[in-house]
Amino acid sequence: MFKKIQDWFDERIGLTELINEFNGERIPRRGGWAYTFGSLLAFLFTIQVVTGIFLLFYYVPYFPIARNATYFIKHHVMLGNVLLGIHLWGAFTMIFFLLVHMSRVYFSGAYKKPRELQWVVGMVLFSVVVILGLTGYMLIGNENSWWTINVLTNVASHTPVIGGFLRIIIRGGTETSVITMQHIFAVHVWLLPAVVMLFIPIHLFMIRKTGHQGMALEYKNNKLPDDDPNKWIRPDGTVPFFPDQFYKDMIVALGVFAVIYILAVVVGAPVGPMYRPLALNFAPEADWYFLANEELLKYFPGHGLIIFSTFLVPTIGFMILFALPFIDRGHERSPFKRPAATVLGILFLLLLVYLTLIGGEPKAPATV
Amino acid sequence: MAKSSEESPARRTFMMVVIGLISTVIGIALAVPILGEVLSPLFKKRDIVWTKLSAVSDLEKISPLTPKFIPVYFKVKEGWSINTLPRQVIVVKDITGDLHFFSNQCTHLGCPLHWIPARQKFMCPCHGGMFNVLGEVVGGPPPRPLYEWIHKIDKGSVFIQNKFLDNPKERGI
Repeated sequence: MFKKIQDWFDERIGLTELINEFNGERIPRRGGWAYTFGSLLAFLFTIQVVTGIFLLFYYVPYFPIARNATYFIKHHVMLGNVLLGIHLWGAFTMIFFLLVHMSRVYFSGAYKKPRELQWVVGMVLFSVVVILGLTGYMLIGNENSWWTINVLTNVASHTPVIGGFLRIIIRGGTETSVITMQHIFAVHVWLLPAVVMLFIPIHLFMIRKTGHQGMALEYKNNKLPDDDPNKWIRPDGTVPFFPDQFYKDMIVALGVFAVIYILAVVVGAPVGPMYRPLALNFAPEADWYFLANEELLKYFPGHGLIIFSTFLVPTIGFMILFALPFIDRGHERSPFKRPAATVLGILFLLLLVYLTLIGGEPKAPATV
Repeated sequence: MAKSSEESPARRTFMMVVIGLISTVIGIALAVPILGEVLSPLFKKRDIVWTKLSAVSDLEKISPLTPKFIPVYFKVKEGWSINTLPRQVIVVKDITGDLHFFSNQCTHLGCPLHWIPARQKFMCPCHGGMFNVLGEVVGGPPPRPLYEWIHKIDKGSVFIQNKFLDNPKERGI
C-alpha cells in the first residue's frame, strides 16, 4: 500500500529521489555535535513562529491594552501561560544559541573561503533576530516596553543626518502612540519573520553549495599544507545528514526544548505592571542580551560624543563583524594555529559578558 | 514566427531588456505608494495644544530650589485617535523667584528622572545622567540641560504646550 503511494508520487515528481537528495548530504564525521547549533536555531525559529501565530489569537497591539491582552493570555487563557512562556524562553534561548553558533563558527574558522557569504547571510539573520527580540519586548506593552520604545527610538534619532526623520518614521509621529505600537507589531509578526524565512533557505542553500567542510579536526589524516585551499575539500570521513547528523540534531533539539518547556511552566513569562508615563520612581530595564549595549550608552558624555555610543561604536562593531571573512583571509582554520583571532575572540566574548554583568546592575536607585 | 533567443542574439538582448524594464516598472509602481505610506508621518503636522497646569499663585508658594512634580494631561490627536498624554512638569522656583517648567525626561535618551533630595539632584535611572535643580547637567552622558516646556501665563494660570523650548530636532516629549 505505502509502496504504491510512493510509486504514484515518484512517477510524477520523483519524490524519493528528491528526498534522498535532501537527506543524503554528506556531513564531516568527527564534529557532529558541534554542527547541531545551526539546525537547533532553525528548530527554535519554528517554535517561535508556531507559538507566535497562536498568541495572535488573543493579542491586541493597541498601546494601553497590549499589556492587559498579554496578562489575559497568561492568566485567563487556558494554558496560555505555557504558550507565552515558550515564546519568551524560546526567544531568549534562540539569542543565546545564536551567540554560541556564531562563536563556534568564528573559532573554527568556518567563515573562510569559500564560505564568506554564509557568514554575511548569518549576520543578517543575527541582526534580524536581535531586533525581533527587542520588538517582542516592546509588544508586551508593560512599563519596560514603554520606556524601551522611547529610549531605542531616541537612540535611532542620533543617527547622523537621517536620525530625526528615522525616529518620526518609526514612531509614526513625534510621540510614542498607538501608531508606534502598530508599526512595531507589523515589524515583529510579519516583516522580520519574512526576512528570516527568506534568509534561512539561502543560508542552507549555501552550505549545500560549498560542500561538506568542517572544523580543523576533520582533516587530521590530510597531508596537504594548511594554506592549500584544496585541503579543506576532503575531510577524513563523512556521514549522511539523514539519519546520522539528524539524529544528533534531534537529541539536542529535545534537550533544549525540554529546558524551554520547564522554564515556561515553572518560571513563565513575567508580564509586569501597566505603563505609567507619570511614574517618578521607575527604573527601566533592558533584556539581558541588550545590557552590554545599554552599558555602552552610559559612556561618552556630552553633546559631541553621544554619537559614539548611540551610533558609531555599535555600527562599526557590526560592520567589522559583517566583514569578518574579508578581513581575516588566511586559509588556516584551527583556533590553535591562528592565535590572534582566537585571543581577540575570547577577549571580545569576555568584554561582552563583563558589560552585560555591570549593565545589569541598578544605576541610580531612587533611595540614594 | 518570431525568432527564439537561441537563433538571434539581438532577439535575446531585446527580450532581456523587456524583462528588465517590466520588472523596473512594476517595482517602482509598488515602491512609490509603499514609500509614501512609510514616510507619511514626516509630512503630518503635529497636534499642538495648550493645557492648563495650575494657578500662578499656587506655584509661587512653593519653596525655592525645591522641584514640584505636577502632572499635565495633553489631549492630542495621534494617528486616527485622540489620546491623553500624561506628562510630568517639574516646576522649580529659582532664588530670584522666576519659575522654570522642566520636563522630567532625561535629555540623553528620554528616561524618567528621579529627584534625589539627599543629593539635590535629578538622576536618570537608565544611564546615570545627573542634573541639578536648575536643569544643568552635572554628570553622566546627557548632551544638554533639561528641556523646558513652552508655557504662558494667562488670567493668573500657567498653560503648558506639548512642545519643548529650544528643541530644533524635536527630541524628547
